[in-house]
Amino acid sequence: MRGNQVPSHTFYCMQIAIHNLTKCFGSLRANDGLSLSFAGGQIHGVLGENGAGKSTMMKLISGYLRPDGGEIRLDDQVVHLRSPGDALRAGVGMVHQEPLDVPAFSVLENLLCAAPRQALPSRAAARTKLLDLARQLHFSLEPDAPVNQLTVGQRQQLELVRLLLCGARTLILDEPTTGITAAQARALFAALRQLANSGSTVLFVSHKLNEVAELCDTVSVLRSGQAVGRQLNMPQPQEQLLQLMFGAAWNAEVRPPQGREQANGHAVGTQPVPTWQLEAVRAREGNLTLANVNLELPAGRVIGLAGLDGSGQQILLRLLAGRMRPEAGRIRVHGQDLSGASASAYRQAGIEYLPADRMLDGVIGALSLTEHFALLQGKGQLVDWRAAEREAREAIAAYGIKATPVSRINSLSGGNQQRAMLALVPQACRGIACEQPTRGLDVASARAIWQRLLARRDAGCTIVFASPDLDELMNYSDQIMVFFAGACSPLMARNELSSTRLAELIGGVGFTPVMSDQ
Amino acid sequence: MNKIGSLLSPPPWTPRLWQIMLLPSPFILALLGALGITTLVMLIAGVSPLAVYQILFFGAFSTPVRFGDMVMLATPLILCASGLTLTFAAGLYNLGVEGQVVLGAIAAMIPLRLFPELPTPLLWTLSLSCAACGGACWALLAASLRLGARVSEIFAGLGLNFLASGLALYLILGPWRRSGAAAASGTALLPRDIWLPTLEGLRLAPLAPIIALLGLGLVWWVLSRTRWGLEVRAVGINPNAADRLGVAATWRIAQAMAGCGALAGIAGGLQIIAVFHQLIPNISSGVGLLGLLVVLLVLARPVWVLPVSIIFASFTVGSVQLPLALGVDSSIAGVLQGALVLSALLARGVRRERAQRI
Amino acid sequence: MRRPPVHLLVLLLLIVGLLAACGSAPAAPVAAPTEAPVVEEPTEATEESTEAEEPTEATEEPTEATEEPAEATDEEPTEAPAVSEDDEYVFGMVLVGPINDGGWNQAHFEGGEYVEANLPGTRFIYIDKVNPADRPNVTVEQAVEELVGQGARFIITNSAEFADGTNTAAAAHPDIYFLHASGDGVLTGEAPENVTNLMGRMEYGKMIAGCAAALQSENGRLAYLGPLIDPETRRLVNATFLGAQYCWETYRERPVEELEFKVTWIGFWFNIPGVTLDPTRVATDFISEGYDVIISGIDTTEGLVEANKAAQAGQNVWAVPYDYIDACAQGEEICLGVPYFNWGPRYIEIIDEARAGNFMARWEWLGPDWSDINNLETSMIGFIKGAGLTEENGAIIDEFIAKLAEGDLQLFSGPLFFQDGSEFVAEGAVATDEEIWNTPQLLQGIEGQSAP
Repeated sequence: MRGNQVPSHTFYCMQIAIHNLTKCFGSLRANDGLSLSFAGGQIHGVLGENGAGKSTMMKLISGYLRPDGGEIRLDDQVVHLRSPGDALRAGVGMVHQEPLDVPAFSVLENLLCAAPRQALPSRAAARTKLLDLARQLHFSLEPDAPVNQLTVGQRQQLELVRLLLCGARTLILDEPTTGITAAQARALFAALRQLANSGSTVLFVSHKLNEVAELCDTVSVLRSGQAVGRQLNMPQPQEQLLQLMFGAAWNAEVRPPQGREQANGHAVGTQPVPTWQLEAVRAREGNLTLANVNLELPAGRVIGLAGLDGSGQQILLRLLAGRMRPEAGRIRVHGQDLSGASASAYRQAGIEYLPADRMLDGVIGALSLTEHFALLQGKGQLVDWRAAEREAREAIAAYGIKATPVSRINSLSGGNQQRAMLALVPQACRGIACEQPTRGLDVASARAIWQRLLARRDAGCTIVFASPDLDELMNYSDQIMVFFAGACSPLMARNELSSTRLAELIGGVGFTPVMSDQ
Repeated sequence: MNKIGSLLSPPPWTPRLWQIMLLPSPFILALLGALGITTLVMLIAGVSPLAVYQILFFGAFSTPVRFGDMVMLATPLILCASGLTLTFAAGLYNLGVEGQVVLGAIAAMIPLRLFPELPTPLLWTLSLSCAACGGACWALLAASLRLGARVSEIFAGLGLNFLASGLALYLILGPWRRSGAAAASGTALLPRDIWLPTLEGLRLAPLAPIIALLGLGLVWWVLSRTRWGLEVRAVGINPNAADRLGVAATWRIAQAMAGCGALAGIAGGLQIIAVFHQLIPNISSGVGLLGLLVVLLVLARPVWVLPVSIIFASFTVGSVQLPLALGVDSSIAGVLQGALVLSALLARGVRRERAQRI
Repeated sequence: MRRPPVHLLVLLLLIVGLLAACGSAPAAPVAAPTEAPVVEEPTEATEESTEAEEPTEATEEPTEATEEPAEATDEEPTEAPAVSEDDEYVFGMVLVGPINDGGWNQAHFEGGEYVEANLPGTRFIYIDKVNPADRPNVTVEQAVEELVGQGARFIITNSAEFADGTNTAAAAHPDIYFLHASGDGVLTGEAPENVTNLMGRMEYGKMIAGCAAALQSENGRLAYLGPLIDPETRRLVNATFLGAQYCWETYRERPVEELEFKVTWIGFWFNIPGVTLDPTRVATDFISEGYDVIISGIDTTEGLVEANKAAQAGQNVWAVPYDYIDACAQGEEICLGVPYFNWGPRYIEIIDEARAGNFMARWEWLGPDWSDINNLETSMIGFIKGAGLTEENGAIIDEFIAKLAEGDLQLFSGPLFFQDGSEFVAEGAVATDEEIWNTPQLLQGIEGQSAP
């Protein structure tokens, strides 16, 4: 691996095969006799619902885990990977869901401290290589920017560059499009295609069918730790892939989205008092300012906030939930003026906030559902454990949470955590502001979450959500607002929009913000 | 290699022997680890580990006098550990507990010096209340530095510790010094009739451990039964989420700190009226730090605070005999205590890592 | 999972904190092993004995309720391997500092060893570093308890700070005799009957020390590194001052006004980091302020060590250490001499009396053997001249000692005034022992805090 060897000059393609790969965690067989092979120079999709064993398999191949049984062959050589470093020396590098970097360092420093010494002999050499590679891949990486100011997408790009500079010929990407904007995803896909053309092998892990369809040459499907579809050449009919992913459950449970028809019917009835009224609100976070927002969000609607990551929709959500105070203007909740009030005042007024990162600030991981309900009881000095447990049982039944009242929230799967978070929203609430309500969930879980949200809407609650997923916005919103660089469009009825039009608006094509003098 | 491995390893759903041995009892693992480290130290020092362990483990129970001394050491330890259980539950590392003990001791001295004529039960109550207030105020100072100025409570606490011992020293050498003398060794002894009464022939004042047990019981009850305790725990695990669920996180943090400070302050007050009967610079005798070790070891579970405090206190009291009986430096008790916590943390880390993989 | 680093940080801080709390012994320059076994038997023997203890304990379980006898029988087997325990008389010592401090504690410790060597049938055991910094949870009573547990029948406590503890412990053990060195519990009547007091008339040693300092000083600026403030330390400072003043006027023939004498109190007998002033720092301050003789009043030797360093750097500085006969060893060239205690001879007599059942509670304040103050078999205190003293000054010191011995030089004779101007000794009078013992203030002419 000589220092000047950049991946576009890679001479041969690496072929990866796994045979009978097994990995157990306690009684759970995460990978169960998995055999697959991936041809070099192609992009291979690996599909599966949450918990199907995709991530485990990738961690085994990239040396983060060691298999309990079976073998990994790189170019027909059996390898024993003891660490990620081992794997990288053998030419396999993995980009994680959460980029692993040193936030306080600059981009260049991250590269320097993570790459082997001979790959980047000096700062200047590293800078040239970084810029070269970034230009080739059309990445926008500024060498001296501190990593903690980069977006998730940029950090991913940095990680990719690092792996390539370290000589990776096989790149593994685990759910790379989670948390990045559509534009960044497009840039990433273009780069991946370019890398595949120049001989790199790419393993692309996802549960998003459309991405796999767009990007991959072949697709393999995992279910319960086993391979149920092997190197199927794309394109494949979507229905068939879903069948493979979810097995029998697909036919039994998961039906195409419903919500729409009901939504239309409901939208007709207008309520006298809107849930939120915003008058000339201005708010700022970092260098992004949301100015002069005048809005009325009626009760009983689902309002989708579209836009590139960081275009202002998060600011609006946090304003609506009282987690951020406006610099100017008034916010009324159900007619009550709450401008400048605390978050707890908003809660009192029936506003709930569901953050994107459940474990970070949504639920309290080490506590059980019962304890969560006990926290919400809100009166008396002693906890009524019996009532709390009853509520927990009811919630488990009503929301279909796979848990007992006493199991800790952090032992639940992502979908169940999200359901639990939703179950904790009091019945009487007037408005829910949620950020990416189905982030990281598979199709079935996402659908279940939306079922509950729509039920809430039908009960008269206003749901405002932000999502980077166009399908989600189109499927579930009654009205959509588009954000572009801190400006927002007026509320648009969903049925007046098409996916393509929405995508254009998000990208700023034909975007007309609400005029500031209105 | 794989073949042998698969032959040896039973099906994955049956727990392996070493799992049975390790998983349910990190405490046993910790104990073994600690004994291993300490034994090594002793072998290097060339002394017989068995004899040392006998003294460390049973020395404090060999005579009623030693037992009494052990109880009087366990008393402030239990109080500090109970208080720290509160702050640990709230996710705080209250390293300022030493200073809170000192402030408690100083505050306890005030009524004792001002109104020595009061009837003793009233005087003791007053003194201990003052001690609790003093400790709580000192803790609130650290809490407000954290909440107001975003100074980590670890560093705020450490700084306040120095300040507290400086204050104690100033009082000892300045306004409160013995008449005709100025020594850093301490203020004059309190009149004997306002000492907490002891059992005949022992230095054991039965009221002190009773107060400590009441404190521990209170902490246990509060943390496990009340809404307040649940909220404190929620704030400790995830302040953002607790805040989102409507818990006043800032208040709970301040209250937990104040609670810990009050208990530590009472420990300091008892050091005055039941142990030293004077204000000395090192009035806390390191019980705060020892309490931190206890809490780290038991992971803030109040039920375990009592036995572990007693064990730690008996190590310390037992170790006094070491230099005489075996010519071993008594700091071996500290080695054992430290090693115990270290290996408990290690065992816990190993277990957590395994749990995470599953 | 952001916790682990915090965990580690906290643990690190804890360990540092505990180390600090355990208080490293004041850097004792003498390289004697701190953990030197007290009992000179091989450890195996003790181990066997402790193991042998168990069965006895088991059989005695029913009688354990009666505490005193059970305790006594329990402890008996511990001494069993000792050849003939009947005629072995064990005496213990509780020391405030480490036995190798090159000062007060080492002098006591060697006194104990002297007894063991010269009084057949005795055995010496001790617990040192009994102070709240080194052993935060050990009180004097507890230390006494341990010594008694090891069979001690006579116990020496060696610090004025131990007065209350010694009295309490003595009351709890009426069958055991106590010697409280430097205390006056017998004089004041606070001590029980089984406590005796012993102190040497170090005033003479200090007078000689002050004289030596005044003789050798170039600029007449003397600094006294004081421990804590109490009557004992005040009278010693006064004595040093009087000795210095006398020699300054008489032998140097210089006016009193040109003699400067300053005391800085560190707050305890030795350095406790964070509690006392750092004596090293105080000594270097003295030197940088221009004082050229440092007279030590503390247990340890920082004054001498720092003066030696400064001398090696080319400054003309001298020091007078204190307490221990070999204290000059840490800076021979600049040591003007050391006033020291020689506890052994009197210890032998008192312990022998106690063993024979003739114990008498006394308050003793013994002077030197004036026929030869350095006779180690008879003299309670002494003064060894140091290499730093010039030959002619050495001769003057001998002359000064001779004058003191003859008794016609009484330095505590009037008129003497305290710092606040009040009269200590009237014109023509000589201070009584009790007046000197209970000195309430420093003398006029001394710069430093009196704490009346």
